[in-house]
Amino acid sequence: MWESLNLKDVVALARDPYPSIRQWARDTGKKVVGSTIADVPEEVIYAFDLLPVTILGTHKPLKKAPSHLPDNACSLARSNLELALSYEGDLFSGFVLPQVCDTTQHLSDIWRINFPDKYVESYLAPRQADRPSARYWVKEEIERLIASLGEWTGKTLTNEALTASILIHNENKRLLAELYEIKKKNPGTITNKQFFAMMKLSLQVDKAEFNKSLKSIKDGLKLKKGKGYTDVILVGITCDPPEIFDIFDELKLNIVGDTLVDGTRYLRGAPSLNGDLIDAMADRHFHRGFFSPIHDDVFKNFEEVKKLYKETKAKAIIYVHIEFCESQEYDLPDLKNLIKKEGIPMHVLDTEYQTTSLSHVLTRAQAFFESLKGGSL
Amino acid sequence: MNDKLTSKQLSKKITDEYMEDAFHAHDNGKLIGYTTAISPVEIFVAHDIVPIYPENHAVANLTAKKGVELCSVVEGMGYTNHLCAYARSDLGYRKTGVTVTRGIPDADLFLACNAQCFTLTKWFQVLARQGGQPVFVFDTPEHVMNKKAREEIVKYCVLQLKELIAFLEEKTKKKFDYDRLKEVMKYSAASSILYKEFLDMAQYKPSPISIFDALIGMAIAVYRRGTPECVDYYQTLVNEIQAKVDQGIGVLPKDQEKYRLYWENLPVWFKFSDHAKMLGSYGGVILTSLYVHAWSFDFDLNKDPLVTLAENYVNRFSNSTIEDRADMATDLFKKYSMNGMIMFMNRSCKAVSFAVPTLKDILTKRTGIPALVFESDMGDQRFYAESQVRTRIEAYFETLDRLGTAAA
Ligand code: SF4
Ligand code: SF4
Repeated sequence: MWESLNLKDVVALARDPYPSIRQWARDTGKKVVGSTIADVPEEVIYAFDLLPVTILGTHKPLKKAPSHLPDNACSLARSNLELALSYEGDLFSGFVLPQVCDTTQHLSDIWRINFPDKYVESYLAPRQADRPSARYWVKEEIERLIASLGEWTGKTLTNEALTASILIHNENKRLLAELYEIKKKNPGTITNKQFFAMMKLSLQVDKAEFNKSLKSIKDGLKLKKGKGYTDVILVGITCDPPEIFDIFDELKLNIVGDTLVDGTRYLRGAPSLNGDLIDAMADRHFHRGFFSPIHDDVFKNFEEVKKLYKETKAKAIIYVHIEFCESQEYDLPDLKNLIKKEGIPMHVLDTEYQTTSLSHVLTRAQAFFESLKGGSL
Repeated sequence: MNDKLTSKQLSKKITDEYMEDAFHAHDNGKLIGYTTAISPVEIFVAHDIVPIYPENHAVANLTAKKGVELCSVVEGMGYTNHLCAYARSDLGYRKTGVTVTRGIPDADLFLACNAQCFTLTKWFQVLARQGGQPVFVFDTPEHVMNKKAREEIVKYCVLQLKELIAFLEEKTKKKFDYDRLKEVMKYSAASSILYKEFLDMAQYKPSPISIFDALIGMAIAVYRRGTPECVDYYQTLVNEIQAKVDQGIGVLPKDQEKYRLYWENLPVWFKFSDHAKMLGSYGGVILTSLYVHAWSFDFDLNKDPLVTLAENYVNRFSNSTIEDRADMATDLFKKYSMNGMIMFMNRSCKAVSFAVPTLKDILTKRTGIPALVFESDMGDQRFYAESQVRTRIEAYFETLDRLGTAAA
């Protein structure tokens, strides 16, 4: 189903992967388990012969979610719930949901109550990352997830199955990282939209199959440097709708680094295969990039962004703000000030799932980058 | 010891002494630790760290209707208007110095316990960036409904409490005294029992207290638990209320107490007394909420203090599943014979409010009692529509009247 896709197919599928996932589940007889971001160890789910799918909102209208989550909840949480309640719920046999911020504090309860016939498990990632207890807890939660999935599926997880799963996931990350490098150096080869569609689809479809597509896409690339590109960094949690990448492409921006949970933060999460696998998965939790609900180091966000900016020699930072995301909003004013003090140009882009019109985003981004070229920033 | 003082006088005395101690903490070689209302403050008390609760200070300013003024300043600094009004008003206070109290001293360190919300962690991080003080996050994973998971959660929390102690030892260059902690736990356990006794007096008919009394009465439990004066205060309070019960004195006279109501969420602070009056005119008294019960701990002094602390802080209503919250609320409905419920969707407090629609569905189904749901903000008057709330309340009591569910 997903082993011989070209870039065009990938872009189309990334916009709505669900019909193909439904078909795949029917063909293979496998069960699908949905998760929201971030940090659910999908390798474990996959190793149980289940398909882990990261749910990243729907673009279809909200109907049922607003009666469960008011309009000051972030649009990602509402959109995810809507997707499950109104559109794709039948597809999932279960969900593993992480608790991160205030919005997600009771979200797994809401899902559990609304899907009494499905498997719903919480993944309680620690919300501190600088002390030994955090490591203990990540390991504990991974083990609890394994026990819980084992009970649900009636299977016992073997070391071989987990190794095989991690290999597939690591291969996916490796291929994506290589494609990212190609794109960064040769922006004329792969557009931002195409690259982030590969990222997104990787989080949603069978990676063993999709890796084949990624490999053949990579092998078939004709490198084009392209001209007139401005290198930028994307900072945030996730970036939606995908049409925003069209805007970046239209403005000839080349994303050369990012901190997105479904971007570089995902790529940095490849556990080592030397030694105990659970230990390795626990370790990677601490090697991933900044994610507001997890980190207790108050300057980490800024330090990471600054480092990335310097390393990549980008020209500007684009901060993707999800409307009503308090995790971002407590950080943003200080981050802006610190970045300004460093003399780094930064553009904040307000996004919302279910947004249909992006003309204001284009106009504002255009104005920003024109003034950047004029050197007035 | 304080035989002659009333609970009100005692509360004032304790508060004044506490603030005096706080403002002179450094003179007395003590550090100021900002912490969250639900946090294992017993550790602070045992280690002579003066706990300061920016939430309490925010309540004072919001009750005095300073919300809009303070929040607007912060919004001008780039913070959005849907963040918690406690946080916004506090950041506004930092910027302007505006307060209706004498203010609060600055922090030397922060302890953020996320059993109530994640907002406080973020808010403390903002303050820490301004002042460069360290933040310790006491992470309490949701108290999920699985025995084994709960045991592990407690273990994780005990590990963290040990880390907290090491952190404080390092900051104060002083060894932590576990015997002192045991002593502090005794006071905390005793005052918690008395505090609960006080809250539970709402089960009498007519009820001698309303939630407004509970909200005033909870202050000492929030900021002075772990001290002998806290025990003293609740003993005095319980005695006073018992005297009312003995004389049959209720918030409303017995024949006027028609509706014994449950309130979900924090109060609308700036409408505090208005709501009491308005409801009273319909024969309604709000008796309780899970919120006020958040400080009725059940410490087991036979256990390792760190274990009983961990167990108690992770199982607060705000950190419990919606199903467990529904059970806790249902128990209160039965115990206090309540026949109405007001479910407040508080824009400020996402952590508590996002569970409310689901909780309301469960509770109305279980009890058969209709609910009044209204959306507003606990501290930001711009989100409060006076006439709308009035109309809703009026309509709600009409419904209750029609259903004939008034208390016998
Ligand atoms: S972290 Fe932000 S985007 Fe993610 S669920 Fe919480 S509020 Fe929504
Ligand atoms: S009101 Fe809610 S969000 Fe605000 S500090 Fe209290 S618990 Fe946290």
